[in-house]
Amino acid sequence: MKRAAFIAVAIALLALVAAPCFSQTAAQKANLAASLKIDTSTLKSADNQQLLAPSTDSRKVPARPADPNALAETDPLHWYDMEWAGWNVTPTNLPKSPADGAVGKKIIMIVHGDHPWTTACILGGKKVADAYNMTFKALSPNWVKDVQDQMIDQAINEKPDMILLIPLDAKGAVQQARKINQAGIPVHIFNTLPDAQALNYALGWTGPDDFGQFRLLAKSWADELRRRNPGAKTIGVAYVQHAPGGSPYFARSFGPISELATYAPEIKTLAKASPTPATFDANTTMQLVSDWLTKYGKDLKGICASDDSAQSLGIFQALEKAGRTDVVVVAAGNSKQGMDLVKDGKLFAITYQTAEGDGALAVQYAADWFNGKKLPVRRNLAQHIITKADVDKFYPPQW
Amino acid sequence: MRKIGKNGLLSFGDKYRIYILFVAVFAFMSLFAPRFFNVFNVTSILKAISMNACVAIGFTVVMICGQLDLSIGTVITFAGVIALGLQPSLGYLASVAVAIVAGTLVGVLNGLLVAKAKINSFIVTLGTMTILQGAIYELSGGNSISVSSPEAFVISDFLSKSFLPLITPRILISAVLVAVVEFYLRRTRSGRNFYLVGGNRSTAWLAGIRTDRYTIAAFALSGATAAVAGVFSVLESTSATLKLGENSLMYVISATIIGGTAMSGGKGGVLRSVVAIFTLEMLYTGVILFGLGNEVKIFLAGLILAYVVLYEAYATYKHEKSLGQRPELMKELAARKSASA
Repeated sequence: MKRAAFIAVAIALLALVAAPCFSQTAAQKANLAASLKIDTSTLKSADNQQLLAPSTDSRKVPARPADPNALAETDPLHWYDMEWAGWNVTPTNLPKSPADGAVGKKIIMIVHGDHPWTTACILGGKKVADAYNMTFKALSPNWVKDVQDQMIDQAINEKPDMILLIPLDAKGAVQQARKINQAGIPVHIFNTLPDAQALNYALGWTGPDDFGQFRLLAKSWADELRRRNPGAKTIGVAYVQHAPGGSPYFARSFGPISELATYAPEIKTLAKASPTPATFDANTTMQLVSDWLTKYGKDLKGICASDDSAQSLGIFQALEKAGRTDVVVVAAGNSKQGMDLVKDGKLFAITYQTAEGDGALAVQYAADWFNGKKLPVRRNLAQHIITKADVDKFYPPQW
Repeated sequence: MRKIGKNGLLSFGDKYRIYILFVAVFAFMSLFAPRFFNVFNVTSILKAISMNACVAIGFTVVMICGQLDLSIGTVITFAGVIALGLQPSLGYLASVAVAIVAGTLVGVLNGLLVAKAKINSFIVTLGTMTILQGAIYELSGGNSISVSSPEAFVISDFLSKSFLPLITPRILISAVLVAVVEFYLRRTRSGRNFYLVGGNRSTAWLAGIRTDRYTIAAFALSGATAAVAGVFSVLESTSATLKLGENSLMYVISATIIGGTAMSGGKGGVLRSVVAIFTLEMLYTGVILFGLGNEVKIFLAGLILAYVVLYEAYATYKHEKSLGQRPELMKELAARKSASA
């Protein structure tokens, strides 16, 4: 009798302890079901485009050369570890998806710095976060890596369900991702490509395929340069580069350089430089381009810029001062200034890089992970080149 | 018991204003900022200030000497790039030593040009800053430098992990350097001579102090501490970005002034500068924890700096006005006037 009573008490206690666990699982299941019902494909960005447009990139990932650095900089495979970063990762201590639904989760987005593009990017992220009823917080270190490191510490201190990071420096991203990973918080990297090793510690990467976009842009640019310089044996071009350190610095100059080496070998690089001291300043860029125009004169037939706002404005100020209208200018897009310049027929082409879509895709990746979906290591934004022919479709601009 | 009058309170407030501000900000943030008062967060703040605290040591001594060192930011980056750039060929110990020596030599060069060639320190260090920027781009090929070997991660983890509550090795290094230099400046004759050199260079020279040596030493210390800050920063983050020290110059100048070191020289202290850095960092962290934007952070820093500069201007005005006045005589005259009336 005593034994039966003891067993009954033990079973009752066990049930008491286990009940919350079962009810929690039920709640998690309900949350997951509710999360999976949410449809974000109907969301729109400010320019009336689909916020989460699927990627149009169908290129296959090539095999990694034994030593990419040993190849010439004009060889696309020299940039393998940047262009294809993420495809050869060795996942390290990556957490498993709780598969309990995205609704109610807390995410912290750490961006790179204050800029109208960043504002639009955060807005896009918030649109998706709101759709999933997530708690969303954005932090900006204003382009200072030390401050970004500190913000990572602060974000860890807040114990969110996930940290989304735009690393300020591709190589510095390794330790940043590692630190978040060691704190037991899932990290997702987006927008700028980190050093490949950083992706060992991250769930994945989403963002614009800068190399891919600029290879596409390079082909349009080359076609136009050939059309304007028929039969020319050499066509001189120059590159106004991004801030040194980040992936756009390489992708937006060496992307087209390595593409044109085979697509249009007659196009020769005369110069490439990042405007200093201010990379995104019209006056500094104007000075740089004026120097090139003085040095290379009529040999300079094309300019590729890393930015379609301040840099492009500086380029056109320099061209106007020199009385040059024959130079074919292309740039990374797509700001209001850039689209206006395309509409005016000054800028020949810009890349379509949706700022809102960038932030939105990162949050969607997080939501899909919470929802237990199997995810690719990399997910690219849709690619497109905007020219005068279709620029009107992208008004009003996102930033 | 001695009574503390209004003037005494004002004088106390003036003398210890940075400590009062520190306590006020700490108390406010602890009470109101969410998740501010916990070991992890305070350790994060200490880690965040350890680089600039180290830089502020040498910079404050230069300012006490009545000079300015604009090259500190680029020396941080320069030393960081050297330390990681040479690491694969020289190993950690040698590359770190070379980086610190290089930073010190930059400081010595600044000091020689200021003390011996009699060129204004603003011009000299502006020049050094520009030359170093070019050298950094040349050395790094325009790209960040990183080391991602297991050994690099071991060093990084060692420097960043707490071995005591609130204390990591990197914080300890900065704290020891601050304590040593503060003690030296306050408690030794040669330390106090830096104040004499900055307060009145001619008088110091007439008193037999070799002013040029002190000026060169101050710049050498500034170069050395900036290099140490840069080296330990890159060892912890395992990468040297080309903008590593870019933010430090304005930050350290603001903190040093807020801390009470006079730009004209002869007044101030290393500890006060570091407390000012700590205060600013707490303020910035609080702003983030309150969920406010970067613009609020910049606005607050500007507001504090403006207040301190205005207060300094007012204090100088009051001091100059009182020069040559005899308060006792003024009181006696006022008493006689009221008696005769």
